[in-house]
Amino acid sequence: MGELFRQYWLPALLADELPEDDSPPVRVKLLSERMVAFRDSEGRYGLIDEFCAHRGASLWFGRNEESGLRCPYHGWKYDITGQAIEIPSEPENSTFCSHVKLTSYPLVKIGDVLWTYMGDPEKEPPLPEYEFATVPPDQTYTSKRWQECNWLQAFEGGIDSSHVSFLHSGGLKSDPLFKGTKGNDYNMGDLKPFFEVADSEGGLFVGARRNAEEDTYYWRITPWVMPCFTMVPPRGDHPVHGHFWIPIDDENCWTYSFDYHPVRPLSVTEVQAMEDGHGVHSENIPGTFRPMANKDNDYLIDRAAQKRGDTYSGVKGIAMQDASLQESMGPIVDRTKEMLVSADSGIIKARQKLKRAVEALRDKGITPPGVDPSHHRVRSAAVVLPREAAFVEACRDDLMVREGVRQSSV
Amino acid sequence: MTVRPILGSSCAKATSAAEMRYRIDRPIRGRRGARIVGLDAGADLIIERIAREPWGHARFFALAGPVEDLGDGGSASVTLRGVDGEKCSLLAQLDDADVVIMVATIAADAAAATVIGAACTVRAIMTAGLVIADVARIDSTVAVMRPHARVLMGSGDERDVVDLLTALRA
Repeated sequence: MGELFRQYWLPALLADELPEDDSPPVRVKLLSERMVAFRDSEGRYGLIDEFCAHRGASLWFGRNEESGLRCPYHGWKYDITGQAIEIPSEPENSTFCSHVKLTSYPLVKIGDVLWTYMGDPEKEPPLPEYEFATVPPDQTYTSKRWQECNWLQAFEGGIDSSHVSFLHSGGLKSDPLFKGTKGNDYNMGDLKPFFEVADSEGGLFVGARRNAEEDTYYWRITPWVMPCFTMVPPRGDHPVHGHFWIPIDDENCWTYSFDYHPVRPLSVTEVQAMEDGHGVHSENIPGTFRPMANKDNDYLIDRAAQKRGDTYSGVKGIAMQDASLQESMGPIVDRTKEMLVSADSGIIKARQKLKRAVEALRDKGITPPGVDPSHHRVRSAAVVLPREAAFVEACRDDLMVREGVRQSSV
Repeated sequence: MTVRPILGSSCAKATSAAEMRYRIDRPIRGRRGARIVGLDAGADLIIERIAREPWGHARFFALAGPVEDLGDGGSASVTLRGVDGEKCSLLAQLDDADVVIMVATIAADAAAATVIGAACTVRAIMTAGLVIADVARIDSTVAVMRPHARVLMGSGDERDVVDLLTALRA
């Protein structure tokens, strides 16, 4: 699976973690590799091996100055490619210095995110084109949080539409980034949706249909782009949200959560709500990406709020409602003990596609779906369709990025 | 400010890899009655192949004849044919079913989908539909099955049937 992830550009950190030239380096762990990211004196981004080639000291302690990151132990200095550019103990212009190079990966800013590609440099794909990252800056907002479980069990929540009417039912009524739409009424009016799973070039579309009016269905359509990008079907004119689940190691992942609007700036109120941890975002411990509600405080569970019906599980906030249950499964859920039902077909199909992509890459070198940037240009949709309509056909345009056209949503 | 102790039952301890090893390790009683029914000749061939694999309580069937020819007989008149050639009634098979998976290719018996779907609905049996054919040719079959399958998936690969049944522990 690690090799599969190395075919893609992945979010490595938020751009504002390196807010200015020569800002302090940041530890980054991805795909079980420890690295440091830094932004040099010329504004160039680098992602290199965390540890100095000399004695293995962490470059997190490094001095980021004069176009390079210097280990404070003995002064070895590296540029953004990991190339040693100064080894003070060696003679001036030493050939040894030119021979020392740490592992490094490209780091590129697109939208609010710094993206990296950790695969074979010869096969580096074109840059990502996800709409949330390419709209003007005032139309998008991205946050991230540390989730203490394997990425797959977290990601599977993103294509599991049937939990929304239960776990997030409180949020549909009260969350400022969700509430007040006709779609919510349809959502709560029919707790037994029908599901339809359709292949897409980059992954899947999972459609959940509920009764709307007498001759119509309310469809909520969730795209998945391999390996780990999902979008939540929109609600009214609220911004559109979605996630990336990025493996840190086998037992931890980063959840990147974004909100954007395809055609208008986010309002001050909306951005404030996102910063306060509403919608798909979380309220984090200041200066960290660890949620305030976490396993060490039992997610601040409020049994009285649960009893009153303010929240369904007693945990506040949509993000932490998901994370608390996904983490409760253990660091890596034992899938031999699960009992899936046919309503989990989206999850079943996604696992199968991932497994087949891993095998095709391993056995035949086939590039997996989701690498091609054209696969990134998808949207979620929430639409009312005549009962006889097939969502894939009827929503073909709604499910693609259309410049200057708002999301399809009720 | 009081510091909450981390108790044995706290999430911090309970979710650790070490603690998860104590999850009860005995099989959970679950699915006992998956019924897989082919709705056209192409699906029957797929089911014949798949039925040879080792399954739990799953039973595999074809329609014994076109359901639209049965007139107003309804579900009581629908006869299935097992992969061993034995015939049985649909309703007898639904008695202890907990999910019915209808498989079709490009010529699904629409009347059968309707009758089986309705019979499952009144008995609160979950239904799923799998349409296995070139994805460019499945639209009409998907449309036929949509009202009658709570979960519907189209695919060009018959391994999807195996994967779904495996995941459902059929």
